Amino acid sequence: MVATAQDAGSAAPGAAAGAVDRSRGGSAPVASLRNVSFTYPNGTEAVRDISLEIEDGRILGVCGPSGCGKSSLLALLAEIRHPTAGEITWSPDPLASRPGAQPRHPLSMVFQKDTLLPWLTVEANVRFFQTLNKERRADVDELIPELLELTRLREFANAYPYQLSGGMRRRLAFITAMAAQPRLLLLDEPFSALDEPTRIAIHQDVLDIVRRLGTTVVLVTHDLAEAVSLCDEVVILAARPGRVAARHPVPFGRERKVMELRERPEFLELYGRLWHDLSVQIRDAQERQDER
Amino acid sequence: MSAETLHASASATMTSKASFAAEQRRAARRRRGRIIAVQLLILVAFLLMWEFLPKVGWLSDRLTFLDPYFISSPSEIWATLGDLASGRDNSPEMWPFARATVEASLIGTFLGTVLGAGAGLVLSNSRMLSDVLRPFIIALNAVPRIALIPIIVIIFGPTMKASVFTAITVVFFVVFFNAYEGGRTVPPQVLENARLLGASKTQLMWRVRWPHVLAWTVTALPNAVSFGLVSVVTAEILTGTVGMGRLLLDSVTTVQASLTFAVVVVLSILGIVLVAIAEVIQRRWLHWWAQGD
Repeated sequence: MVATAQDAGSAAPGAAAGAVDRSRGGSAPVASLRNVSFTYPNGTEAVRDISLEIEDGRILGVCGPSGCGKSSLLALLAEIRHPTAGEITWSPDPLASRPGAQPRHPLSMVFQKDTLLPWLTVEANVRFFQTLNKERRADVDELIPELLELTRLREFANAYPYQLSGGMRRRLAFITAMAAQPRLLLLDEPFSALDEPTRIAIHQDVLDIVRRLGTTVVLVTHDLAEAVSLCDEVVILAARPGRVAARHPVPFGRERKVMELRERPEFLELYGRLWHDLSVQIRDAQERQDER
Repeated sequence: MSAETLHASASATMTSKASFAAEQRRAARRRRGRIIAVQLLILVAFLLMWEFLPKVGWLSDRLTFLDPYFISSPSEIWATLGDLASGRDNSPEMWPFARATVEASLIGTFLGTVLGAGAGLVLSNSRMLSDVLRPFIIALNAVPRIALIPIIVIIFGPTMKASVFTAITVVFFVVFFNAYEGGRTVPPQVLENARLLGASKTQLMWRVRWPHVLAWTVTALPNAVSFGLVSVVTAEILTGTVGMGRLLLDSVTTVQASLTFAVVVVLSILGIVLVAIAEVIQRRWLHWWAQGD
């Protein structure tokens, strides 16, 4: 993630861009948001003047007070909604030009609410992308058993979603999105309904799979510990309308052990700085609400 | 803790789980048994009252609805059922009538269900089509189908086709409104997810909406079957075509109370059997639906 000139002034103290692990990323951004604003038809301004570059192969966290436009930002990236001002530009996939490289699906998303198809088995849910895109049959064929294995769902391949626990259903939703081999994966508070131990276990699965496939990720979350555990950089949005209020590179490298990471003093220190910035925005939002 | 102790502990846990499940099954069986016993008790009490109250002279003299001439008795109805089944004592044999009614009901219900589910799917998938056509469908549904039967008879003549068409006009709407709601209640994030994974509009309709439409259609199937049977019998009464409705009409016009009730009993049994078949289909196809909710 590269801070634009406009955002550089708001970066948190000590958050030097050089501290970010760039062993994989650092190439051309997957997408660039330039002065993007979005207002709903009813006049509610969701986000204002956001400029960000989403770099290839990296994980960007987006946090902020409730209603600050985090999910609207994802909807803009997913082209579910379109900016009312500014523009989002996409760069060509560098992998597509490499000989023998498999084409990547542009984008998939894991939603906060369930998107599993209850009439399909676990494996059929993961293969859903394949059934929609017949030309991708061969390469997805190899990936699916691997994804089931990595998320410990292989022995449940013939079960139906209603037969799975909450954590297993979330893992399934995640690999269903990953089976498409997306260039950009959007995660919209996908693990917020899970208990802490289950969530941490899934974090490790997400990290392992996303790093292995070199997927670029934008994660929207309320959980700062989740953001620090998974992301290469965390952006704090200001209260509505959402604007970039602060940016924090996460200096823990690409290969992380989430369980161990949480015990490190640097984790707690970064968590504290994020919380400070977020609490400023929460107080600001409350004050503005009280004024109204 | 040693491996043996762990193994013993795990075995004990499994045994206690198995015995708990067995106890649950026994409790469910006991509950079912109690319900059936009470149901049988109510049925026997009702039949006994029906059999013996009309025989109390001062009661049947005062209350017309207890006059055996009008309400017959279970023993008489049972005897008439025997005659209907065998064709004894100049009684018409019921099987050709029952077969015609069942045939018309099944064909009418099947076609009405297919058309209703198809229309529900297509309209729920297209906002434009839905906005244009839905008011017409609601207006058509408000038309009493009995009023259409004379027109149907003019078009098809007093034939089984008329009964089938009547059933279609009734079942179509029962299924359509359910199917349409099924297609519309697909969660938006499920549609959005499929779109992001590359689904075309046709794929969204068949791969995402259709299973929901099918689930809601199958849920409406017991009702559709009942309505199909009732509308076929109504058409048979009004057109006089061969079927249980015609038998019912004959029994009423000749004031044969035992025959009337016997026909009603046969129709009830037909209804129960057809609805039970629909419920079996529902359970087989919709295990994910029932469990998922």
